[in-house]
Amino acid sequence: MTAVILDGMVLGLQFGLLATGLTLVYGLGGVLNLAYGQMAVISAMVVLFAMDAGIPVLPAVGIGLVAGGLIGLFLDLTIMRPIYRAQGEARVLLSLLLTLGVAFIVDGFLNWRYPLKALNLFIGGGAVEILGVPMRRGSLWASGITLVTFAILFAFFRFTNLGRAVRSVIEDEEGAKLVGIDPRRMLRLILVLSGVLAALVAITRSMVIPVDVQAGFSITVFALIVAVVGGLGSVPGALLAGIILGIINTIAATYIGTFLSLVILLVAAAVTILIRPSGLLGVKG
Amino acid sequence: MLEVRGFSAGYQGNNVVHDVSFRVDKGEAVMIIGSNGAGKTTLFRAMCGLLASSAGEVLFKGDDIAGRPAQRLVRLGLGFVPAERHLFPRMTVQEHLTLGAYPKRPERETMSTVLDLFPRLAERRKQHAGTMSGGEQQMLAVGRALMAKPQLLVLDEPTTGLAPKLAHEAYEALDVLRRDGLTVLVAEQQVPLAMAFSDRGYVLENGLIRLEGTSEELAENPEVRQAYLGVT
Repeated sequence: MTAVILDGMVLGLQFGLLATGLTLVYGLGGVLNLAYGQMAVISAMVVLFAMDAGIPVLPAVGIGLVAGGLIGLFLDLTIMRPIYRAQGEARVLLSLLLTLGVAFIVDGFLNWRYPLKALNLFIGGGAVEILGVPMRRGSLWASGITLVTFAILFAFFRFTNLGRAVRSVIEDEEGAKLVGIDPRRMLRLILVLSGVLAALVAITRSMVIPVDVQAGFSITVFALIVAVVGGLGSVPGALLAGIILGIINTIAATYIGTFLSLVILLVAAAVTILIRPSGLLGVKG
Repeated sequence: MLEVRGFSAGYQGNNVVHDVSFRVDKGEAVMIIGSNGAGKTTLFRAMCGLLASSAGEVLFKGDDIAGRPAQRLVRLGLGFVPAERHLFPRMTVQEHLTLGAYPKRPERETMSTVLDLFPRLAERRKQHAGTMSGGEQQMLAVGRALMAKPQLLVLDEPTTGLAPKLAHEAYEALDVLRRDGLTVLVAEQQVPLAMAFSDRGYVLENGLIRLEGTSEELAENPEVRQAYLGVT
């Protein structure tokens, strides 16, 4: 049982990180980015090509993270312009359609040009025992990086002026304007951050399993489920929901069967939404 | 300090305020009174850059600021406290005051001035705005605006939802600010309070300025007495 819980937490941290980039953009701008998984996959491919070109792993990973941020910036400067001009429901719908379009284009292109590429950053060495359970080194590294990332994010939002400014836009956009914050600039910053997080998701994931060019949509779907359960717009919610769903998923996969684990995740998500429509720690409700 | 000329604004092409003109001189307290739906909120929101205006000029310290977004006006020295306050529910009092000075770091001196004015806020620095009472929220909204050291403070119905005693206290705080040299423009339905506070006033009805004068003149005007002071 300890093994299942630990594995669940490893998966859960990954889920949490996955959902964070998506949930922030929604909380701030009311935009659901369905190309989120593709941002992750492109970043993974950038790391892969950098390594193929002879660049060592760490710098290649750095290039991948920068690439993720640049994709975010690119989206902000292009499709987000008409999206942010729309208000309310129209904005959500437009964001769904346009980002889905981007996702299809990216997926189509990658599948056509590089159908067999996959990023693989396995970390070798023997298993490490934790609480008597042997854990893979890759999983531990991925979890460690995720925890550090969350610590940085929390510190940013709590203790920096810029972080507080971002939160104020999530809390009340008009109030933010009244203290001199330009919401549009905060949105740009967060979309860039979201791109970096997407890249980090792909990189940490590839330490455990290969990230191939088809991974985009499944990343988006998992991110969406976790973000909705945690409460769209809430980073602590994403982390909490990630860990809960990660444990549920692992328990389901161990005792019932992998084939049903996605169904069980969806049921867990549906139940949460029925009981708390705004999610576990939701902002808007 | 502020001069509004021929100003019109509204929603989706339907003007709510029409050709409004008024001015506020440095060091003055000016009120705009009017009943519910007279257009006070629309006028202030458009003037302060939260709503598009359709015609006219808003001269603030000599510059036409009509059409500039709210976030740019704060830095010019125009602070706005809307009727709905627009606080950040899950952020603390301290965080609100810190953000009030954005993008600069809050000055110690300004912070202590605000906390001296509203000792309740000092007691509740760690409390979330969403859990505070209406009166405390109003203090916080004003305090947040003061952190940017505005030269002109514009308040839309600062007594909305406040019990009479708290409404009174709100105006006492504004009195203190005035004595310290702040210029204040306030829209109000609770006319007696605003009248005791301000030097001059304008009466807004159906989006038009109907009357203007010193507070004494308005207080003696039979129309004003009947419509806003409950005197027959």
